[in-house]
Amino acid sequence: MNEIERLLERQAVWQQSRRTLSWPEKIRLAERVRPTVEAFRLQREQRRVSCLPGETSAPPAVNRGLGTPRTRMP
Amino acid sequence: MEPVKEVAVLLNAMRDSGVVADYALFGAAAQMRYTEPVATLDADVLVAVPAPDRLDVLGPIYEFCRARGYEAEGESVRVGAWPVQFVPVFNQLTRDALAAAETADFDGVPFRIVGPTHLAVIALSAGRAKDSARVLALLESGSVTQEQVAALAAREGLSDAWTRFSLRFLDERD
Repeated sequence: MNEIERLLERQAVWQQSRRTLSWPEKIRLAERVRPTVEAFRLQREQRRVSCLPGETSAPPAVNRGLGTPRTRMP
Repeated sequence: MEPVKEVAVLLNAMRDSGVVADYALFGAAAQMRYTEPVATLDADVLVAVPAPDRLDVLGPIYEFCRARGYEAEGESVRVGAWPVQFVPVFNQLTRDALAAAETADFDGVPFRIVGPTHLAVIALSAGRAKDSARVLALLESGSVTQEQVAALAAREGLSDAWTRFSLRFLDERD
């Protein structure tokens, strides 16, 4: 097993160990990473907009359930 | 009060007052009851409403929330940190999921939640990459078996979707 495989195995073990937490504790973890997830999504939207023809630095059409309506499955 | 507990209290009050006949959390926040934590920004709630043919089917829900200080933002209602999206049951699968929902305990507050097999089959029916990841996570957590998902998928007319999923993700895992 090389270094990368050992790293992945450690990661998998850690991730699986999170399963044993209570549901409320998992929800609290999700709440704690929320700002990071929002930042990632904002960056992704900005990249998407800047790649559109005719778009350069326009404000991103961010839609995280907080703005304009959207249609999606959860 | 913690945000998700606040969501549970609001939903229970909504059901007790008859604004919704029933509700159940689904999506990523529900998945986490059975798997490891996953990143999510909102809470998705299946609802059965007393008057599903109304043009503004969610109107009474939004009014109920507004009367308690929870404002609509886009297609969600903000409850603390959580945008809560209400999804009226829209087919037999979601009706069955709501009927079979379990009552979980969230730090002392009852919280209706879609069970793992229905969560998996709803994800199967949606069919996006993150839905496939959800099915795999539920299977790998041991909260559902392939046989249970296959059986429910068959009952809901989703055998083809299950076959495609199996061929793509399960046969190549080992």
